[in-house]
Amino acid sequence: MTDRPTRRHVLTGAAALAGIVPGLAMAQQAQNVAAAPVEGTEDRGQIISPYGAHQAGITTPRPAHGMVASFHVIAADPAALEDLFRRLTDRIVFLTHGGPVPELDPKLPPADSGILGPVLRPDASTITVGLGNSLFEGRDWLAGLKPATLSRMTKFRNDALVADICHGDLAIQFCANSQDTVVHALRDIVKSLPDRLVLRWAQVGNVPVIPPRPDGQVESARNLLGFRDGSANPDSGDVPLMDRIVWADAGEPTWASGGSYMAVRIIRNLVERWDRTPLSEQEAIFGRTKASGAPLDRRAGTETDVPDYTADPEGAVLAMDSHIRLANPRTPDSDRNLMLRRPFNYVNGVQKNGQLDQGLLFIAFQSDLERAFIAVQHRLDGEPLEEYIKPVGGGYFYALPGFSEGGDYLGRTLIEAI
Amino acid sequence: MRILTLAAICGMLATPAAFADTTLDLVGPISDYKLYVSDKTDDLVGATEEFVAAVKGGDVEKAKELFAPTRQHYEAIEPIAELFSDLDVSIDSRADDYEQAEADPAFPGFHRIEYGLWEQNSTEGLEPVADKLLADVKELQGRIEGLTFPPEVVVGGAAALMDEVAATKISGEEDRYSHTDLWDFRANFDGARKIVELVRPLVTDEAFLTKVDGNFATIDTTLDKYKEGDGYVTYDKLTEDDRVALSAAVNALAEDLSTLRAQLGLG
Repeated sequence: MTDRPTRRHVLTGAAALAGIVPGLAMAQQAQNVAAAPVEGTEDRGQIISPYGAHQAGITTPRPAHGMVASFHVIAADPAALEDLFRRLTDRIVFLTHGGPVPELDPKLPPADSGILGPVLRPDASTITVGLGNSLFEGRDWLAGLKPATLSRMTKFRNDALVADICHGDLAIQFCANSQDTVVHALRDIVKSLPDRLVLRWAQVGNVPVIPPRPDGQVESARNLLGFRDGSANPDSGDVPLMDRIVWADAGEPTWASGGSYMAVRIIRNLVERWDRTPLSEQEAIFGRTKASGAPLDRRAGTETDVPDYTADPEGAVLAMDSHIRLANPRTPDSDRNLMLRRPFNYVNGVQKNGQLDQGLLFIAFQSDLERAFIAVQHRLDGEPLEEYIKPVGGGYFYALPGFSEGGDYLGRTLIEAI
Repeated sequence: MRILTLAAICGMLATPAAFADTTLDLVGPISDYKLYVSDKTDDLVGATEEFVAAVKGGDVEKAKELFAPTRQHYEAIEPIAELFSDLDVSIDSRADDYEQAEADPAFPGFHRIEYGLWEQNSTEGLEPVADKLLADVKELQGRIEGLTFPPEVVVGGAAALMDEVAATKISGEEDRYSHTDLWDFRANFDGARKIVELVRPLVTDEAFLTKVDGNFATIDTTLDKYKEGDGYVTYDKLTEDDRVALSAAVNALAEDLSTLRAQLGLG
């Protein structure tokens, strides 16, 4: 099988989704990676192929569970980095395909944690690897190979970054239908590469699974502020669009072709304060209705309706500083700032002050970090939503180009460029 | 749907192999290890006597000087010392193990004294703690003398020491008042390496030994950068890069040495 460059084959084990969700069977239906996972369609046997020109886990549908884990890399020379990439690739291939775990002599520690039983099911899992700025900065032999706009995440106006949950030499995004699969994959990789990867931080997240709608329409998942998140995401099924928005190309070192910039942000939501805010104010802050997600100038519409800012130049209905208007002013110019968002919600327990530690594990992919995430975040500086959110962690990473079946490995083009 | 065969996708697939039973061959290494532990325990008692005398004599500076080298004798034999969990708690527990932390009257042992010396710069109130510490290490000495060393504890002790460093020491939380953690690391690594050296002739997997030796060498190189006099500089001088390098070597050793028991046919 050869994957077409930007549209990945999603192999499903049992009944395809089409019979259960009529909307998905319609030709030309826009694909939104931020669509909520639909109840009853999760298939533990589903394999999302890790092979292709691009890594899986970017334009493939977002399942219910995810995690970002960040690591220090131990690699003093190119051979060590190649060893890391090859061994990591082996684990990714195994974990995403599933199968029986090896049986060892019982005198040995078991080869697998066993938390998924003796036979792994693929569970629609994807494992997406990105490289951080510090990997390149610390190594002379990688000089000149750093992706053009990869940088160390710096503080934005409203950030209160906690050093322990920021940055990293290498980050892995794990996604799957169930949290057990995500946790299992992390434990497998930590156990398999102790001499190459030292874990720095990890954040798990999930998105709500919703019942299918009778009309087959797909809805974006809600965040922990109760609003739909990702309604305006670009169509991940539109190959030329993804080529322009998501996949890095011109201006990058040759090895990086087919990769994508991954912006990760751990954004705490001050949910108690938010829940005490009048509904009308919440909606004005976002620019959307809470119930349907329709833009405020189309209250009776749906979340996919496009707001018309030209008809509201003073912001009478859609405030000029509302979140959606600042994030995407929908001018000819702002089209170049688009990105693909694929976030998860997180729930971490309780803070010292007795308030809930909850928020958004924001993940966005783009072809140019400065032109997309960083530019948009600067536009959002000072937005009224800031009173209710506090970014505390995350980092910028460069998702490696994909790899093909049979001897290829993640990061090969980088190693060959050294 | 494409399903790859397991062999193609899983490099770690190993057919269950029966490991040879080496129980008889282990008799020599185990008795050598017992000698090593006995020597260390004697050193521990001697050093603790001096340390306790300094504490009771109110000599804060001298007691501070003796703290780290005294502990090293204990840290090197932890796999055996920890068999006596009542004594381990009494000798080496941390403030975290007590509800009121440092203020808890039950907080005993080395770390209670460490707290007094560094945080309070005083030996006030430490006299009974010091007496108890000495009594405990003497009790430990007696119990070790009478102990038949279980082979799986000795052989498994190498991995246990690395686990301990990885889980509770690499973060610098062990000697949090004195920051003498690097002395402890050195002793833990020496204790683990001693076990590997004693059983080395019985290990047939050369690749395994090469990897283990490589990681021990990484640890030596890294720690050597921080040598000062007979010991080490304080933990806060350890750079992030070196902490990460140590962490990777320790975790790799913990994984590899966790197979040592099986390699020697021990269940």
